[in-house]
Formats: sequence, structure tokens, C-alpha cells
Amino acid sequence: MSTSFDVPKRQHPLGVFIIGAQFIWKAVQSFWPILIGVTLGEMKWYYFLAIPVGVLIAGAFALWYYLRFHFFISSDALIVERGIFQRERLQIPFDRIQAVQLFQGPIQQVFGLTGVRVDTAGSSGSELELVAIRKAEATILQQFLNSKMSLAPETGEDEPVDSDPHRSERVAKPLVALGTKDLVKVGLSQNHIKNAFLGLALFMSLFQGAEDHISNWLDGIPAAVVSIVGLSFVLLFIPGLVLMGIVGVLTSLGSVFLRYWRLNSTLDEDGLKLQMGLLRRNSFDVPFNKIHLTEWKSNWIRRLLGYETVRIRQAQAEGSGGLRVFIPAMEPLHRAAMEVALYPDLRKEAVFDVSPARRLRWILLAAASVPSILLLTHPEWGNVILALCWTAFVFWTTGRRYGSYRLSVYIDSIVLERGWFWQTRTVLKMSQLQGVEWKRNALLERRKIGHLVFHTAAGQSTFNYVNRDQAAKIRDFALNQLHAAQPKNQSI
Amino acid sequence: MDITPVANPALDPVQFPRLEEVEYLPVSTKYRGMRLALWGGVQLLVLAICLTPYLIYKFGGEESMATMSAWYWPVGIQAVFSLLWFLEEWKGFPRRGYAVRERDITYRTGWLFRSTTTVPFGMIQHSELSQGPVSRKLGLNHLKLFTAGGSGNLRIAGLEDDEAQALRAIIEARTRR
Repeated sequence: MSTSFDVPKRQHPLGVFIIGAQFIWKAVQSFWPILIGVTLGEMKWYYFLAIPVGVLIAGAFALWYYLRFHFFISSDALIVERGIFQRERLQIPFDRIQAVQLFQGPIQQVFGLTGVRVDTAGSSGSELELVAIRKAEATILQQFLNSKMSLAPETGEDEPVDSDPHRSERVAKPLVALGTKDLVKVGLSQNHIKNAFLGLALFMSLFQGAEDHISNWLDGIPAAVVSIVGLSFVLLFIPGLVLMGIVGVLTSLGSVFLRYWRLNSTLDEDGLKLQMGLLRRNSFDVPFNKIHLTEWKSNWIRRLLGYETVRIRQAQAEGSGGLRVFIPAMEPLHRAAMEVALYPDLRKEAVFDVSPARRLRWILLAAASVPSILLLTHPEWGNVILALCWTAFVFWTTGRRYGSYRLSVYIDSIVLERGWFWQTRTVLKMSQLQGVEWKRNALLERRKIGHLVFHTAAGQSTFNYVNRDQAAKIRDFALNQLHAAQPKNQSI
Repeated sequence: MDITPVANPALDPVQFPRLEEVEYLPVSTKYRGMRLALWGGVQLLVLAICLTPYLIYKFGGEESMATMSAWYWPVGIQAVFSLLWFLEEWKGFPRRGYAVRERDITYRTGWLFRSTTTVPFGMIQHSELSQGPVSRKLGLNHLKLFTAGGSGNLRIAGLEDDEAQALRAIIEARTRR
């Protein structure tokens, strides 16, 4: 098999199995209520004949789809022809490609094949998947597309910000690599509370009908026994919580192991390379100029362990899936390495450094003290003490939270920081901004306060409650920097 | 050596072109009439819906509607929202406007909820002129500007025909540059 992509070609023959498996999976996903309904009724032996028939039909369709599926590379685009009843021809120009991702699901791993996913900046469904390509071929394809797409918008290196010395090194530098121990740490520092609530919601929905049964049963037993039963419920409550906690932790660990198994990442002069996953192994290749937003998140436990999670966001229509790249366990030195490569100007002094208006502190405080006001509607001793404690706690935390909001503007980058327990740090480039908005309501306008919204191709990020004069300066500066970088960034 | 001359960060922000100083061009006054007509139409419709149970009970003698005949509650709530909406339209209309600079376009809107959005021409992916049946009769156009990702999309409503064409020509020319 040749590795040239000039002529229309099919995928690897074993792809038929993968396409077939995908068809069956889709069918099961869309018809599962019927399937469950059938199994609840009386089972006849001949019902099981449906399984081989279904598999045969799926296989036939898969073969047909496989035979009709062609892909090749023209001088400026990746072209795919596909479809059984409705034939379509997708043409993806190289400069529209956001990222090329290789993935290996369990089936592909068995056959030694690789899938290729090409993400574009369009809306959902416009991305493209080849499911079965030989590993060597896929790597060549990925490298080829990558070289084309990172070349496209680059027209000159005359901008001072870009001529960073670290870029001239032509070797890939290792970034994060995760072993089993790191995965355990990442898993343990997940948001178990969220997982526990998810578990609780599931539990409640499963046992909705049980409430009536329990109350009927309680009515039937003698009054003297009720208190003992009640006590035992309280005793059961605590083990229940513990059990839920265990389930939450196990879910966290399991999902982390599935997603980030043997994660390995490297930085080279124009992009980020990343491999991870257990059952479905993904390999990402993201050029720097296609990254529109990076989000650094950490919670208190993660900061104790000394790392944070970064989410890399690319151009995508709102609501569409797009490519989601997370790297957990970024240590400070990893963050430094990545920021040097992505945002070299962050090492320089900030041009603006802004905190929100003081009014935000009172808004935060008012919102956070709602529970104590509710408690004081029933003024008993216990409630009053509880309300006082809560108010004191809230005073302390809102001070911290207010202090954590920060907007720093550098020569080409904007950094938005917020959060005290859960910290978020968003970095975006002014040269990639799609628009700047100044938003406020009539009440805020009177106090010369408003919200500054930065629209990027990867969604918007907002800095709330800024003073008008400061915001106007930042907006003018951002627009100026954006225009200065314009000819370079015609295409996204 | 890794000495890289970078633009001096100690810039004086006052020297940048200031957006606050631009003059906004208003949209067509016919559009105010159109918005107020829309307001009136919606008010009439909501009023009719609020009053229907009462009217059926009172004049149709339908006893089953008796429980829903307290018309003053929904009408009162509606009056508040309707007033707010009217104020938004009435006081907000003079604030509606756009400003074109050499490299970007700014659109300002709203009275209760105000927003001023600037989109650089270089980031506009494509533009669209749209007209409904009513706005076609009045000779009004709505210009939609699309940016990548869709979060910065801009809709400038209520432009006269020639104005819309001129604005679109400017955008086409500037976007290509």
C-alpha cells in the first residue's frame, strides 16, 4: 500500500469491522428503550434471531459505506467523498483545520490501526473522522496536515513579540508525562463533591417510588418502635455518606485512569503534542496559532500537591463540541514552559493591572449572606449562633474572593484571574480577539461600572465590575494591539 | 544572545485612539416605529391571552372559567414588564447607533441593559443583509456580521437601503485588505 494521498483511496479493509461496530453502537443508542421494553416482556427464543440479523444488516451497510468512502489530498485541501444514499463531498482547506487528532479505540488497538479526526472551525458535525488508517500512514498524514496548517497564516516574522529565542530551538521539549502515581494524585484531587451529588441524583431518581412504601410500612408499626427505627436510619445515614464518598472517589479515579492513562506531552517550536488514554488512546497535535484560549484551573488540594489543570480551547462555534484538550497535573515549571512558548510577552511587565470595583465586594457579600438571613427568619438561639458563624465565615471568604479577581494586560496577552478556593486563570491573545464588548445596566452606568467582555473564537470571557475609565483604556489598548497584528492574522 | 527588543511596555495609554470619542450614527427613525409596533402587537396579544378566561366566564357564562377569572393579576404583572420594555425601546432608541473607524466597527445599544461592542473588520468572516416582509415595505435592512466562534457576532438592525449597501461595501473592502 502506498503512502501517497494524491489519488482517492479507501481506508484499511479492517475498517469495515470498525464502521460496523459504530453502526451497531449507534443503533443500540437510539433504540435502547425498545430493547429494554422487549426484555421486560415475555421472552421467546426467536427474539434472539434479531441479533444475527441486525449484525448482518449492519455489516452490509458498513461494507457499502466502506466501499463508497474515499479520501485524498489536493493541492490545498483534504477531500473526502462518502455516503450511502446521500453522497457528499467534503472539502476542508488546510488553513481551516484547527487540529489533527489520532485516536485508537479498543478495536483499533487490536488491529494495530489508528483513527484520524480533523477538526475545523465550523459548526458541529463538520469535523471529519477516518476510522481505520495504518499507524505509519496516519502519522505521515498528521505531520503533512500539520505542516500545511501551521504554515498557512504565517506571513512574516517581523512582529517583535514573536521572535522569541526559545522558538528557534528545533527540538521537541518534553512537557508533562504522567505515571500511575501521578494519575492517583490527579484522581484523588478531582471534585468528589460534584461526583457525590451526581451519585445522589441518580440514587434519588432510582428510588422515587420507594418513599410511599417506606411511609406505609412506618404507619403499620407500633409508635414505640418508630423512634428506634428513626435512630437506625440516622445510623444508616453516616455509612451511606461514607459509601457515597467511596463511590465518588472510585468514579473519579476510574475516569482519570481511562482518560489520562500514560499521558505524555511535548512542546516543539510551533505546537503542542499530546498522547493519552487507556481504552481510547488519543494523540493530539495542536499548533500554537490555533490555540485561542487557555484556562488554568486548580483547587486548594491541587495547589497543595503543586499542580493545576490546563484546558486548551480552539476556535469553535458556540454549543458545538469542538476539540477539548485537558492536561492535568501541570506543575509550575510546565506552566512556565508552555507560557513561554505560547505567550512570550507574559515575562515582560504588565501594561495594565486592574482589580474590580469595590462594589463587587458588597455584591459578593450580599449574595453569600443569604443563608444567614434565612436562618434569622426563625430567631432561635441555635439559628442565631449559626447565622453569626456563617456571616463571619462569609466575611472572610468574600474578602479573599474579591482579592482574587484580577485582570492583567500585557503587550499581546490578557490574563483574567478569579477564584480563591477554585482558582481559574484564563489567558488569551489580543491579536486573536474577535471583538470587545462593554456591557452594563443603567444602575451600574450611573456608578461608572460595567463588565468588559472579550469575544474570542473559542467563546467569550468576561471581567466583571470594572471602572469605566480603566475599561476604556484597556479596550482602546486591546483594539490597537489587535489592529497592529492584523495582516498576520487574517485567517484563524 | 537572547536579547529581544520588544515594544516598550511603558506606553502612555492616552495616545491610543479612543473609542469614547467617536460619534455614533443613528439607525433609521422608521425602525423606532417598527419596534414600537412590535411592542404594541405583543402587548395586545398578551392582554388578549390574559383576559380570555375572564371574558369567557363573564359573557359566555362558562362556569369552569370562574377560577381563572382573576384578570387583574396577570394584567398587572404584564403592565410592569410592558412598561419596562417600552422604556427600553423609547429611551434606548436614541442610544442605538454604530460607528465606523478605519479598522473596526462599533455598535451601541440598549438603555436598561447597555452594550457597546467593537468588532475589527479583519475578524469578520462574512456578512449578511436580511429583510423581513415588514422591513422590506419600510425599506429597512438588518446587517449581520459573523465572526469566528460566533460569540462576537453583531447585528445592526434598522438601516436604510442605501446606508446598508454603503456600510456593507465598506466592510467588504476593509475585510479583504
